[in-house]
Amino acid sequence: MTDKPVILNADNLIAGYLPGINILNGCSMEVKEGELIGIIGPNGAGKSTFLKALFGLVPVRDGSVTLGGEDITNLRADELVKRGVGFVPQTNNVFPSLTIEENLEMGAYQASKNFKKQLKRIGDLFPVLIERKNQRAGSLSGGERQMVAMARALMMDPHVLLLDEPSAGLSPARQDETFVRTREINKTGVTVIMVEQNARRCLQICDRGYVLDQGTSAYTATGQELLKDPKVIELYLGTLGA
Amino acid sequence: MLATLDRRALLRAALVFLIAAVGITAVLTMGGAAEAATAETEAVTTTASSGGTNLLIQNLFNGIVFGLLLALASVGLSLIYGTTGLSNFAHGEMVTFGAMITYFLATPQEVSFPLLPFSFSVNWPFWLAAPVGIAIATGFGWIQDKIIWSQLRRRRVAMVQQMIVSIGLSLALVNFIQWWMGGRPVRLVTSIDPRNQYGPISVGNVTLISMAIAIAAILGVAFFLQRTRLGRATRAVSDNPALASASGIKVNSIIRIVWMMAAGLAALGGILLALYQQGIGFDDGTKLLMMMFAAVTLGGLGHPYGALVGSLIIGIVAEVSTVWLPPDLKFATALGILIIVLLVRPQGILGKPERVG
Repeated sequence: MTDKPVILNADNLIAGYLPGINILNGCSMEVKEGELIGIIGPNGAGKSTFLKALFGLVPVRDGSVTLGGEDITNLRADELVKRGVGFVPQTNNVFPSLTIEENLEMGAYQASKNFKKQLKRIGDLFPVLIERKNQRAGSLSGGERQMVAMARALMMDPHVLLLDEPSAGLSPARQDETFVRTREINKTGVTVIMVEQNARRCLQICDRGYVLDQGTSAYTATGQELLKDPKVIELYLGTLGA
Repeated sequence: MLATLDRRALLRAALVFLIAAVGITAVLTMGGAAEAATAETEAVTTTASSGGTNLLIQNLFNGIVFGLLLALASVGLSLIYGTTGLSNFAHGEMVTFGAMITYFLATPQEVSFPLLPFSFSVNWPFWLAAPVGIAIATGFGWIQDKIIWSQLRRRRVAMVQQMIVSIGLSLALVNFIQWWMGGRPVRLVTSIDPRNQYGPISVGNVTLISMAIAIAAILGVAFFLQRTRLGRATRAVSDNPALASASGIKVNSIIRIVWMMAAGLAALGGILLALYQQGIGFDDGTKLLMMMFAAVTLGGLGHPYGALVGSLIIGIVAEVSTVWLPPDLKFATALGILIIVLLVRPQGILGKPERVG
């Protein structure tokens, strides 16, 4: 993994929603091509904000984000989609009044010529979505919506996929399914950066984890190392063993 | 796809119409008895029936005509609300503006720009003046979004503040139009449209053509929203602007298009309204605004077809109520229906309650 080139680099990001209040106080991250990265940390550490700052949804006040060596700091979301970054928000991640098929079409909005081809490819990953393609997304359950959201983000064939708490609000079985699917997507060559509350499960499938604390990236190590790290166990995993 | 998507919605709309029809027939039979008793209504029926016209059916028809014109104006209001969340109080003036521009271009009388000393007469034929008027209004929609609304959105001005800006703009525009065009109603065409008798309905050719244009325009909007990629993206922005942007849709371009469409449709509605009521005053659009809000709310806020259904109901209720109630009360009756429907269906007729989680 170490010899792969760096695809995404965040350098000392300072960002926040309200003027004068920074949520991120110097977050850095280096992601190599094809890696599956998990970002964990306590509530309010700035995990989701970090992900949103990478995707330009939160204004970055200082520091920079580069994608494949190119500066993408504060670029508009549609520009990032064009450059191959996909984003799945935690909540409100489907278009409720559109059908599943229309949701997926919106995912491929910038490459509508490839829509049919991509739909077929996504259909192999999520066959159930194709069976129910004319159903309104607003009538789906949380887990089904998560599936639509992930499929939508994959329609543009992104190099980098950002997932904001994909397991939030799902049943344990659905959570497992989500993690397995994330791993599968990663194996197809997509670099995945995921923010997770479910730290243990997340670290089990990750190549590398980042621990965030109070708006800074406290430390990074491989998923397995973090799982065994006494400090991580105490702070984020509880005392129960895996 | 269209059929599966809106079958339930259509069913609901059909149900509402059925109930309305039953109600109207019931009241009609009662009204028949009352007519004989009151001299006033008797006078009305005699004048109306002199041409073989059935007062109720005629008013029902007038209601549909008015409803279609109202729909043209309110579809844009609904689309703007859906995509941006703004209740645009200046939408009534967009209706007046379209009609006034058309008058400016079509009238054989001398017209002038405000504050400029020279006056002239454009005197274009109506068939040319109307499309150019709509095009100018569409351009005005573009300019409005360019210099006001997109700037406010970019600075993240909250909705209540934006709404107050729209109220200010409404006042500014209505006064500007009065200053420019004067306080008296103007007529877009001076020829008199002879009325023809079709069974129990008497209607002029211009009104029939207006109806056809209105229906075609509404079908056009429906086709755009349902069958074109841009239209589906418009619905996506309406559903969830943040996600639309994260999907790679240029949300601000979509909103710009919505503003242009809304302004163009409002102008078309204004022109047809001016033909229908044989003239338009500087504040006719402003007066219409409350009806547009009522129609959009009744149909289901932000639901594009809700505006159509709501407009037709408002139009029909307002016109038909004049059979039994004084005409001054017709809009009050329509708003009364709004309250009753919202008590039964708080999300409006076509509005769908979203499941949570």
